[in-house]
Amino acid sequence: MAIEVPAVSVVEPQLGPSGLGRRMRSVRRFIRRQPLGTAGILIIVVLAVLAIFAPFLRTSDPNEFGDDVIVSPSADHWFGTNRNGQDIWSRVVYGARPSLAVGLMTVAAALVGGTILGLTAGYLGGLADLVISRVFEVLNSFPAVLFGLVVGVALGPGLGTVILAISIVFTPAIGRILRSGVIAERNRQYVEAARVIGAAEGRVMFRHVLPNITPLIIVLASTTLPAAILTEAALSFLGVGLPLDQASWGKDLGGQTRSYFTLAPWLAIFPGVALSLTVVAFNLLGDALRDELDPRLRNTAFRS
Amino acid sequence: MRTYILRRLILVPFIVFVVSVITFMFVRILPGDVAVTRLGAAGQNCDTCVQKVRESLNLDKPYPEQYWLWFKDAIRGDFGLSASSTQEITPELRERAAVTLQLGAITILFTVLIGVPIGVISAVKSGRATDYFLRFFSILGLSVPNFWTATLVVILPSYWWQWTPAQKFTTISEDPVKHFVLLVLPALVLALTASAYVARITRSSMLEALTSDHVRTARAKGLRESRVVFDHVFRNSLIPLLTVIGLQAGLILGGSIIIEDIFSIPGMGQMAGRAVFDRDFMTVQAVTVVIAAVFMFITLIVDVTYAWVDPRIRY
Repeated sequence: MAIEVPAVSVVEPQLGPSGLGRRMRSVRRFIRRQPLGTAGILIIVVLAVLAIFAPFLRTSDPNEFGDDVIVSPSADHWFGTNRNGQDIWSRVVYGARPSLAVGLMTVAAALVGGTILGLTAGYLGGLADLVISRVFEVLNSFPAVLFGLVVGVALGPGLGTVILAISIVFTPAIGRILRSGVIAERNRQYVEAARVIGAAEGRVMFRHVLPNITPLIIVLASTTLPAAILTEAALSFLGVGLPLDQASWGKDLGGQTRSYFTLAPWLAIFPGVALSLTVVAFNLLGDALRDELDPRLRNTAFRS
Repeated sequence: MRTYILRRLILVPFIVFVVSVITFMFVRILPGDVAVTRLGAAGQNCDTCVQKVRESLNLDKPYPEQYWLWFKDAIRGDFGLSASSTQEITPELRERAAVTLQLGAITILFTVLIGVPIGVISAVKSGRATDYFLRFFSILGLSVPNFWTATLVVILPSYWWQWTPAQKFTTISEDPVKHFVLLVLPALVLALTASAYVARITRSSMLEALTSDHVRTARAKGLRESRVVFDHVFRNSLIPLLTVIGLQAGLILGGSIIIEDIFSIPGMGQMAGRAVFDRDFMTVQAVTVVIAAVFMFITLIVDVTYAWVDPRIRY
């Protein structure tokens, strides 16, 4: 008979009004304390709108070949056109889709993998730790882009290929940090308490330790996301990322288009700005979340 | 300490071995038959020719035997012949590794020169306008993809002033000065990203050290603020700083496929990138193993340096 032992939450209990009112107050507090993070969220919202409503925001089909070849930005083509007469504004709008989708899905996959491996290694220790840590080391010593390149060429371009390659690259990075986080938690009293009353190892790991490292997981997710988006762009840049008919910022910056860049710099500028802005936004949000959630770093916010 | 280094040194070849096995399996599932590619039109109607090329590459043998044939030469530093150009891999790899090493060294120099001062100033002025400005600058540095910065560095001067960076590479023996001048721009582009990481780590570990007891003691006994910052705070924030510099060094010395390609620098990264597209599995195997070994050694050096910087750490 296992007795339910509530896991001690690191988030201090909040007193005062409950429900919506309390939530609104913490939102206001976040806006006040993290102006840069709020700016990041706003940019992300705009990007999400671009991605979702791309069919309504485009001025023409991003893949359609037009007669206006290499036109500089004008009223007809806000961001100009490329050598195939494709409208750059429409391509930039559609490019938000794979960037966000790949970013979110790879982070989700790497988080699941990294959490299970990191939790097991950190909590069980011993042989499991030895094996998992070596697996992390092996995966980590592969150069990320070269690994993605080989996987990309081997499996052919496609959304699945990209997600697989990038999530394998980021799993050890997440797992290693979570492992050290778990080791710090392992000897806390609540873990001991749960074990004393006879909870199984798996239960202690997932029901007690996991909730306590959630802030760390959120921080890791927010710092991995921009890195995953950059890796997708790099692979698409090299031509092994997404399939040909998919508009992607990375792809528009690489390949054969490059020979037209000195003639028509707007071809390089707009997709690059969109990509950079996206990554900046996620990094700003990640920084703000770390300030708010990582208790170890929170103390350093008070300065002398 | 000695046993720790010894244990790590034993682990390095083990990990490199596993990396080589995984790479071996991966490159074998690359689509396309290198024998057909190499023969070109001649291979279209000549099955015996294709068969001969495959035999010369040992591709007709079972996988374990193929691996063993590769392994027994590789362990002596002989990576065999390129599958696509039939040139010896090792001499070319050595030449290219030297170029990547030089590029890496210059990049690390720039990274430290840019990143550390920004981080220190940001920490000392924390919470003020300077800090916010520098922090935003470093977020920009780690967000803007370096292949885009590199692209802009190449195209914008050419669009505005019709000036393009040299497309032809000058080796160190041809003209050492010109050689290093050529490496400055790509090194700066790479350092922009790396220094952003260094600046952030410097700032946060300095902030942590700033609030510690020994710093309060140093202030209490009336030391000048500059001495407090450099002798007491900075020295204590060196460890995370070393970690991140080591990590960046490992990444850069592994060769940047994209940056080396954009600036036409004949380094290991460019070699690896081309080899993958050429289906040259022999070269991919060689470069991956070398890069993994370099990366592992740098991590080891960083870990050993910890003990030297911080005498409290004993392995």
